[in-house]
Amino acid sequence: MKGLVRSILASAAIGVAVMPAAAQEKPRAEVMHWWTSGGESAAIKTFADAYNKAGGVWVDTATAVGENSRAATINRMIGGKPPTAAQFNTGKQFDDLVTQGLIRPIDDLAEKGGWKQVMPASLVAAASRDGEMYALPINIHGQNWIFYSKAALKKAGLSELPKTWEEMVPAMQKMKDAGLTPLALGGQPWQERSLFNAILLQQGGKNLYMEVYQDKNEEAVRSEGFRKAVETYGKLRQMVDPGSPGRSWNDTTALLIKDEAGLQEMGDWVKGEFINAGKKPGVDYGCTIGLDDSMLMVGGDVFVFPKIDDPQQKKAQDLLAETMISKDAQVAFNLAKGSMPIRKDVDTSAFDECAQKGLKLLQSEDSQAPVFEILVSASLAGAVDDVITQFWNNPSASPDDMIEGFVNAFELEG
Amino acid sequence: MSTETATPRGPHAESARLAFDRGERDRGERPTSRGTTREGTTARGRKPKTLTIGRIGLYGFVVVAAAFFLLPAVVMVLTSLKSMPEIRDGSIFALPQSLDLSAWAKAWSSACTGLDCEGIRVGFWNSVIITVPSTIASIAAGALLGYALSFWRVKGADILFAVLLLGAFLPYQIFLYPMVRAFSMVGLYNTLSCIVIVHVIFGLPIMTLIFRNFYAGLPVELFNAARVDGGGFFRIFWNVMLPMSTPILIVAAILQITNIWNDFILGLVFAGRDNLPMTVQLNNVVNSTYGEREYNLNMAATILTAAVPLLVYFVSGRWFVRGIAAGAVKG
Amino acid sequence: MAAQRKRLNTATLVLLPFWAVVLAAYVGTMLWTVQISFTASKLLPVDEYVGFAQYERLFGSTRWSVSMQNAVIFGVLFIGGALVLGFLLAVVLDQRVRFENTLRTVFLYPYAMSFIVTGLIWQWLMNPGLGIQKAVRDWGFTSFDFAWAVDRDMAIYALVLAGLWQASGLVMALMLAGLRGVDEEIWKASRIDGIPAWRVYLFVIVPMLRPLIVTAVVLLAISVVKAFDLVVALTNGGPGISSDMPAKFVMDNLFTRQNIGLATAAATVMLITVAAVLVPWIYTEYFRKARVGGTA
Repeated sequence: MKGLVRSILASAAIGVAVMPAAAQEKPRAEVMHWWTSGGESAAIKTFADAYNKAGGVWVDTATAVGENSRAATINRMIGGKPPTAAQFNTGKQFDDLVTQGLIRPIDDLAEKGGWKQVMPASLVAAASRDGEMYALPINIHGQNWIFYSKAALKKAGLSELPKTWEEMVPAMQKMKDAGLTPLALGGQPWQERSLFNAILLQQGGKNLYMEVYQDKNEEAVRSEGFRKAVETYGKLRQMVDPGSPGRSWNDTTALLIKDEAGLQEMGDWVKGEFINAGKKPGVDYGCTIGLDDSMLMVGGDVFVFPKIDDPQQKKAQDLLAETMISKDAQVAFNLAKGSMPIRKDVDTSAFDECAQKGLKLLQSEDSQAPVFEILVSASLAGAVDDVITQFWNNPSASPDDMIEGFVNAFELEG
Repeated sequence: MSTETATPRGPHAESARLAFDRGERDRGERPTSRGTTREGTTARGRKPKTLTIGRIGLYGFVVVAAAFFLLPAVVMVLTSLKSMPEIRDGSIFALPQSLDLSAWAKAWSSACTGLDCEGIRVGFWNSVIITVPSTIASIAAGALLGYALSFWRVKGADILFAVLLLGAFLPYQIFLYPMVRAFSMVGLYNTLSCIVIVHVIFGLPIMTLIFRNFYAGLPVELFNAARVDGGGFFRIFWNVMLPMSTPILIVAAILQITNIWNDFILGLVFAGRDNLPMTVQLNNVVNSTYGEREYNLNMAATILTAAVPLLVYFVSGRWFVRGIAAGAVKG
Repeated sequence: MAAQRKRLNTATLVLLPFWAVVLAAYVGTMLWTVQISFTASKLLPVDEYVGFAQYERLFGSTRWSVSMQNAVIFGVLFIGGALVLGFLLAVVLDQRVRFENTLRTVFLYPYAMSFIVTGLIWQWLMNPGLGIQKAVRDWGFTSFDFAWAVDRDMAIYALVLAGLWQASGLVMALMLAGLRGVDEEIWKASRIDGIPAWRVYLFVIVPMLRPLIVTAVVLLAISVVKAFDLVVALTNGGPGISSDMPAKFVMDNLFTRQNIGLATAAATVMLITVAAVLVPWIYTEYFRKARVGGTA
């Protein structure tokens, strides 16, 4: 079967190699991604501009919703007509593409550019398979941010945001009593899971978090610490508004912008919404990492470069990778995207005060933990999402249900 | 081909009437035949002119049903004409304060779908280019197969049909992977022909089903007479069957135009970057929210994308029922 | 005789390309699906066979059982509802009501909308903050509740409602076409015998419309099995997994969850279920009466 697949792919690759006009002077790079909304478009545009300036021609293939975009990308790779580069999330999404030899290793480029030395080790690892780099990380998103409305806090009579979840629950009750929606949450499984993981990392600590998601340790799941996180999470079920289920994250952020809700747990892409609405960090809204600014959950986006025989396309890939990782492009892109540069050696003075907090934690490996997509397979991630979303959406589900669900998911998918 | 088929209109009208007036029953909605049954026999169970309780109940039901079916369309149109503050603060049923067509203009020509800010019009012609050949080809295939299955006893034909029907129940996502592989093997992947062939394949079960039902309703004597006259497979199809098929051809065209125009995932996967249909642009517009969701823009974009099939229904709705009537019921 | 044989050969020849398509696309995909369901395939197919492991996973999954239950609820209510509503609408239009043409278009136009668009519209109408619920509550009916899409007990019915809106018109068109074909003599006779109209409809007309009802059920059943777009656009399977459907389960596992093995196992189970339910029925409906033709 594999042999057959290979030969099909090989013949298809020849077809591709013959197809593009050989006379083309400038390297054309077709880039597939799902950054279609305002801030995201502005960010990808900085890459496109930089690439065009570097002498290439950027061909943009954007498809809204990551799943749609990835489906199109994967099918085109299988069909032997891959784009020059394609976006994935940092993590295990492209594992199989690597094993099937569909993705070009970029270790040589990384060596030449000395990238590995300037990137956080955990993200280099997340982009590598068997020690070889297969994906180009382009940004770091912190995913356990808590954004809160200062006006809402004031209305509930709170002077500042509590630093622990134990204190947070009563504080949220106060917000509820004041007629606010304490927790702004978009009820989609990935957002519900993001909240839970933030609580788990905060309340249970990095060790427990890693034991659960990296080691898939059943005892860790049955531990007191995990149960406590589940109980906290369960209490928050009362803290959302009726419109929560199915809502997108940015419609949810709008509740904070209108000061109707207290806080939202989300990645730092939320900042784009605040900027767009003319809200200022520290003035209109506050941001903390976790609750006490001690541990950053890091993830991000990568681009992979499909294996292509056409030298012209290879040249385009080289130029594309070098452009995206260059210092200027990194600053421009990440400022627009609301994320943090993947390189530690760039000037970060232009970043806002929230990003500065994150950048500080990025200095040390001890103050960061990888997002769970880096640690678990797509299939286990899905199974865990199913467990969490069932618990979250069923007010009568007990912590035991969720713990057993986790154990079961690990047994089936781990 | 013979001269009669050179002008399809004439002969078809003739034979269509022939089909209608076969003496079994009158299926037409043509004013003449309806007229006679109406005035002639006052046939149906109830008498229309006196206002009975039943009649009031009838109209009550009609009004409620019409409201249910119209409500979404009304809300869509109203919303597309409002400004965002109006949408946020007002009732969804409220009339727009002023006729604001800017959302429509933006959806059509300047909404951003990624780095291109040219609205959904980009995909319009792609959709046309995909829909026209796919509709024609899939109808041709369905008509031919339906005809062959109805009139010609070929070994294994029933199995063919059964497999087709069963295949219609597979979720089409399952087909993606093997089909991508197959098309790339023959070098067609990501081309216009690729997406047309895909639509023909997926349209085949339903097209075959309705043509088979239609031809099954035609009298066998017709076929036998043509055979006696020495007609071959294609000649009978072309000269006898096709001219009588106008009503069902219309039904098939309506169904296929709607299906193909509305397709998203097949277009996304098979059409190739330069042929992406309008629904892909719609997805980009509707799912690319930044800040507040622009409901007016979404609604306008949605209506614009649905405009072609809607127009087809408005123009040919009456033909639709007549087409089914012409072929459908058999005792 | 010789000429006849030749013609039959033409027919056989014409069927050949169709056989090729059906074998390659449909049978091929079915076999491929079954084959992959016995492998450990993740994002891309591999030939590492694992026996029934994927099926064990499938039947161990709460989400799959919820999906199947929902498919049954949705299937029964959607097919049944569309048949009843479509038939009623057709009967009403057949009573010589005024504005018949307009009404027919009103009932039929939703069928021109894709399931994605249908889902989007109804999601909006059922949005608690913006939709019908808010409008009606603003009129003073403060206990009015129509936020079905965000209610885990009602979400599946939200899908049914939106589905009915979209597809009932098609059934109406089919039935109306059938009613137009009913012989006037039947009505005359029943009036002379003094049989109430509803009984005539129920016991005389409905059996006559059988072929059309069969067509309608086949078309509706196909959309039940394939209900993916509608679910994604309206509830995305939520809240939680309360309105999940098999087609969405398959799609999620195909790409997002990188579980081709599990997805194909699910598709195989769907196919077998459909085959078990529909094949005997389709067989009796379509093949019982062999037509006289061809060789006659």
